Formats: sequence, C-alpha cells, structure tokens
Amino acid sequence: MPNPASPSGPDHEWEALLRRLRQQPPAQPQPFFYARVQARLAARPYPRGWGLPAWARRPAYAALLGTLILLVSGDAAALRPTEAPDSYRSYQPGSPTSRPAR
Amino acid sequence: MAPSLALPLVFEPLPPAAASSTGGADAELVAQLQQGSEAAFRTLVERYQQRVYSTAFSLLRAAEEAEDVAQEVFVEVYQTVATFRGETALSTWLYRLATSRALQHRRRATAKKRFAYLTSLLGLHNQVLHHPPDHAHPLALLEGEQQLRLLHSHIGRLPSQQQVAFTLRHEQELSYEEIAAVLDTTVAAVESLLFRARQTLRRHLHPSLRHA
Repeated sequence: MPNPASPSGPDHEWEALLRRLRQQPPAQPQPFFYARVQARLAARPYPRGWGLPAWARRPAYAALLGTLILLVSGDAAALRPTEAPDSYRSYQPGSPTSRPAR
Repeated sequence: MAPSLALPLVFEPLPPAAASSTGGADAELVAQLQQGSEAAFRTLVERYQQRVYSTAFSLLRAAEEAEDVAQEVFVEVYQTVATFRGETALSTWLYRLATSRALQHRRRATAKKRFAYLTSLLGLHNQVLHHPPDHAHPLALLEGEQQLRLLHSHIGRLPSQQQVAFTLRHEQELSYEEIAAVLDTTVAAVESLLFRARQTLRRHLHPSLRHA
C-alpha cells in the first residue's frame, strides 16, 4: 500500500503531474496571426447586432414592436378593411351620405 | 482599408477587482486604441496572442478551434474597446473574453455533435460521424505523456467554472485574485472551485498515479 507521506506516494505523483502540466510548452498560434485577424475584421467591420439591443435581434420581438408602433401611431387604420358604403355602420345621421329627404 | 474603431458597442463594465494589476503600458495601449491607432492594435495582438490562444487551446484542445476563438477575441476587442473604461486590467478582460468564447464554442460544438448523432440515429443523413483521430498507441507514448493526456481528458470533463479556474491556475499560472477577476467572483469562490477540481481530478487519476 502506498504511503502518502513518502516522496513516491500519490501526493508526490500528483504534484509532479501538475508540475509537468505547468512546464508544457505553451501553445502558439500559427505565424501571421495578426494578418488573419485583420482579414477577419475586414470581412466583418461591424459587430454583430450593431446598434441594436439583443432582444431586438429576434424577429418575433421585432415584428411585435413594429405592430405596436403602428397601433400607437394610428396608422393601423390602414390595416383595417374598409367597409362597404351600403353597410349599416357606414350610415351616419346628418352626414352628407345619409338618405335624401323625400 | 481598416475599419474605424469608433463603433458603438455593448460591453459590460468589469469589477474593479483586478484594477490594481493594470499596467501603465496597457493603459497607454488602450488609450491609443480608443483613438483608433492601428499600430496600437497590432501591438495588442502581438503582446497577447500567445496568452489568448493558449487559454483557448487549453479549454478546447484543438488548434483550429483555438485559432478561431483567438481571432474572435481580438475582433471583439477592436470593436468594443471604445467602451472599455479601464476598471480592470486589459489582460483580465482578454482572459475573460477568451474563456467565455472558448466555452461558448465548445457548447455549440457539443450541441452540433449531439444533433448529428441524433440525425444519424434517425437515419436522416447517411453520413458517417467523424471523431477526431487518435493516432497514439498506448505503448508508443511515454508514461508521463500518457498521464498528461489522461489529465487533459479529465480536465475537459470538469464543470465549466472549475475547468476555467484550473486551467488559468495551472496552465496560465494566474494568481487567485486574477482568476477571481476573470470569473467575476471572489477569491474564496476560486479556492473552492480549485479545491473541487483537484479533488475530482485526483479521484479519477488515482489508479493511474498509484501505478505510475
């Protein structure tokens, strides 16, 4: 049975393993890394979702916002179907379109 | 033509935990970057590319993916440096970007792999799933290398926060304070993360260590 206090115990081996991990040569990018970063920047000059909050980049939320703006601004009238002139609701007493007097 | 630096960006202010470690040289570099200096950006990339790349590589264990993440980090720095207020060290910000982007990359890759596996089970695609080739023969590897490979494999299975803390401590050799700043947490929390990570790794590696 290994003795944890001895230099050859699991503690010592664990420490040695961590030391080996630390002593590994650091990973290096391939040469001309800066040129590749520049190329990437040139391909995408603006950050994703530039100028927009995260929620506005979801189409469903954007559509909902558009509808709300339309409703609030009153332009939604354009979305309502026009009523036929002979319908009941189109008759307004006293209006020029009311029935002619006999 | 290089894109302008003056871009509106979303960047969360970092905690002042690591502000004390901000070097004068980095502060000067950030100031030049915020003025749109192309030379300053080149200096930044050359100064930090190794640290950013090796951090990403430690978390991903794939050169191509680490390269992709490292490039993405510098692009993000270029595009968001206008909002960097210097409340933390530049290196802390870079480590934070590198670790979060690497973990994000890995989550996406795992999801993609699971989806591919699922579609292969359902027979939606007749493609063969490719796993990274492992050319290493156990007998061909030295004992120490075998143990390191085993250690890397178990580090990769740790929960994300533990993995980042362990990697920053034992591979990047950051102090507990620096790790706390990167993870936006306390030193006590970092100690706890490292303790749990070491315990888990030792438990998994115990038979291998005993028979080494």
